[in-house]
Amino acid sequence: MSNPLDVAKSDLELAAAIRQRDRKATARFVELYSDAVYRYVWRRLFPRTEAVPDLVQDVFVAAWRALPGYQGDAALQNWVLGIARNKVEDYYRRTLRDAQWLTEGIDTEEAETAPAAVGLSAEGMIDAERDSARASRILDDLPYEYAIVLRWKYWDGRSSLEMAEGLGKTVKAVERLLARARAQFGKQWLNDGKGKEEE
Amino acid sequence: MMEDLLRASLSSDTDTAPGAPSTLKSRIFSALVRLEQEDGPLRILSESRDAGEQLCVFEHLVAAVPSEKAQAANPCEVCHARLLGEHVENAPIYWPGCPYSRYCGH
Repeated sequence: MSNPLDVAKSDLELAAAIRQRDRKATARFVELYSDAVYRYVWRRLFPRTEAVPDLVQDVFVAAWRALPGYQGDAALQNWVLGIARNKVEDYYRRTLRDAQWLTEGIDTEEAETAPAAVGLSAEGMIDAERDSARASRILDDLPYEYAIVLRWKYWDGRSSLEMAEGLGKTVKAVERLLARARAQFGKQWLNDGKGKEEE
Repeated sequence: MMEDLLRASLSSDTDTAPGAPSTLKSRIFSALVRLEQEDGPLRILSESRDAGEQLCVFEHLVAAVPSEKAQAANPCEVCHARLLGEHVENAPIYWPGCPYSRYCGH
């Protein structure tokens, strides 16, 4: 017989078994999806990964509580990752709300002029894979609030309005923060490129 | 251009992330089983076995007891494999059918 931890039953059967409080099905649920959820959360919180374990556990507890509502409209893994996305966004909101400079002391001149000065090299655009790695590295080195606001915007695809509503801030405040984050990203991109040329 | 780059670079950005530690998997499983116990009696082990789930040696013993109350108990609560699994990364647990052993890659 195949090992039941290796071969998943259908998502609906697994969900039904967990709803029956079948501990063995629950074990399989954790085995099947914990790596994907962990990777998802880890990358979105990097480099502050100390919060990842608690957040991942929160995702599974929330998923377990919500399982009675699972109708099989999406693959179970995608459904669980959807819950992970919500938990990560909650974390982003908490972190950005705590950022005192979100609406105070913003140097708008720098934010509004720096992005225009950023030009990605033609060479960079040719080598998309290398650019991607470089962008990830730069993002990881940015001030944390900048990194997560860029991830929230460009990874999760949230609009400025959605982010503003989530933060209880104005759209303008969010757009200023995004502009500053992009400006800082652009500066570091250029500096990173100069460093590479000098090597 | 920069916005395109950010979108492109972030869309495939989970490749370098590590998988979940075995201790975390163990703690999550234990937490979920505790929630299930708070919600009601666990599914009896003979039913889990009949549904195709693999039991560990201790669970086989419990499943042989002709008492639904006994079968709904959780032998993992007093098992050293759970303790090891929750506290030692990739602990040397080798019980077939034990989730904690599976989380440790055995």
